[in-house]
Amino acid sequence: MLFRGLIGAVAVMAVLTATSVGARAFEDAQYPNLKGQWLRARPPAGVTGQAPFDPDKSWGLAQQAPLTPEYRKILEASLADQAAGGQGFWPSAKCLAVGMPAIMGPFQPMEFIVLPEVTYVRIDHNRDTRRRIFTDGRDWPADVQPSFDGYSIGRWLDTTGNGRFDTLAVETRYFKGPRAFEPSGMPLHKDNQTIVKERIYLDQTDATLLHNDMTVFDHALTRPWTVAKKYRRDPAEEPFWPEYMCGESTGLIYIGAEMYFLSGDGNLMPSKKDQAPPDLSYFNRAKK
Amino acid sequence: MLRRSLLGTGVLAAALFMAFGPAHAFDESRYPDLKGQWVRARVPGVSGQPGYDPTKNQGLAQQAPLKPEFQAVLDANLKDQAAGGQGGDPTYACISPGMPRIMNPYGDMEIVITPDTTHILLEHIHDSRRIFTDGRDWPSGYTEATYRGYSIGKWLDTDGDGRFDTLAVETRNFKGPRAFDAAGIPLHPDNQTVVQERIHWDKSKPDTLTDEITTIDNALTHPWTVTKTYTREHVAQPEWFEEVCAEGNNHIGIAGQNYFMSGDGRLMPAKKDQPPPDLHYFKPPQK
Repeated sequence: MLFRGLIGAVAVMAVLTATSVGARAFEDAQYPNLKGQWLRARPPAGVTGQAPFDPDKSWGLAQQAPLTPEYRKILEASLADQAAGGQGFWPSAKCLAVGMPAIMGPFQPMEFIVLPEVTYVRIDHNRDTRRRIFTDGRDWPADVQPSFDGYSIGRWLDTTGNGRFDTLAVETRYFKGPRAFEPSGMPLHKDNQTIVKERIYLDQTDATLLHNDMTVFDHALTRPWTVAKKYRRDPAEEPFWPEYMCGESTGLIYIGAEMYFLSGDGNLMPSKKDQAPPDLSYFNRAKK
Repeated sequence: MLRRSLLGTGVLAAALFMAFGPAHAFDESRYPDLKGQWVRARVPGVSGQPGYDPTKNQGLAQQAPLKPEFQAVLDANLKDQAAGGQGGDPTYACISPGMPRIMNPYGDMEIVITPDTTHILLEHIHDSRRIFTDGRDWPSGYTEATYRGYSIGKWLDTDGDGRFDTLAVETRNFKGPRAFDAAGIPLHPDNQTVVQERIHWDKSKPDTLTDEITTIDNALTHPWTVTKTYTREHVAQPEWFEEVCAEGNNHIGIAGQNYFMSGDGRLMPAKKDQPPPDLHYFKPPQK
């Protein structure tokens, strides 16, 4: 009797399991719960500046970036320009996409969408970024149009051996520029041969803290540069996703190589002391 | 004996199911397969930039049901464009076209379905959308208005085959200015637009998707309904081209006027006899 009972139980269990597996369910319990809105974690006390690349240090020279002498000079020139009223080498001032690695600051709220073949990272900044981290086992393509965000291939890892993925290891290549590490204008090399490696994982004891250990390989650097970025999950059940329109809010006007401001009344004004007005010779010709 | 045996079987089966059953499975077989890259279906005979009604050319040919006041705005926009201006189309300044125009669409489209949200990812300016399908109510209190609006949707199984095939969406809470198309067919500046959509996938035509859009707006004499059609590209690993509006954009807006930047980096007029911008904030050159 007991033997027949056991056979029956196994048969029932098999049917129930087959029903759940046969429905082609995406077993999201296998993946870390990254749902919700992620924001840059509060930096340590004393850290200043917008989204420093290394979030544990203030921006600019305090980053102690391992730059080559040539690229350190570019950073210093960028800082000098900013001190004089310019924007330095920070391409975001022109509403260009900040690209990788800077986009993972992040400057705006971030969302992860985890699916078996791809993990999307959505950030609405200068560009309505939607990074695609392909986790379908694909090889690097032979021919890819370079982009500010690059092309990302990732792999989920179970580093603790508990049968559940906990870390997304990502590599990103195929960039275009110009790109800078952070708003100080700290430059990446103009050859755009950057490779960015990331390990993205939830904190083991705090599910509201997400880590992104990021390593940048770039010819502007004397060695690979690794930083530990951290993001904090917003507890709101229905977070608001802001819409960021650089073109709508910017008061900066670029004409040729010069940057000007738009005054409160909409007219052009200088951005630096004694800055000359723009050349209007084309308008003079029109009058003739 | 039989009753106890059956009871024991049931208890054992339930325990095993709870241990191995789908804890948090997303059953994607309940949803249409919309993976891949979608593009605007071309309509023979229709030229130029896509119109709100994709079966007609943009502008006057759309025969938009505009109130006389807004027909006059369209006429003025077209005249401004003919003279070299942008006539009511804000996208030249890298402002999102907003809804409903986003769904023309201007770039490649990807639809990502999750249980709580359907993401429509579009490569253009700021065109990507979130359609919340988690059963939420419209937010009460203040919610920041956006060009894309706030979208709530519900999946429907219209043919009763046990699989969702239609996403019914309503979008509200807009800001402006927005236009229906690049010709500058205007929406009302009160931004009280409501956009209703039925995004439908027909399993007998799996590479075709339709979006029946109805725009309710105070610039219109009546709700305006059109059907947009998208086709799926057959590429195993489609390439997603990155568009950055500010890159290579030579439009410069100063004091409500649009100018160009010439090839040699100098400011130039966009229209015949356009005066130069006011430069009174600049110091006169030292003599």
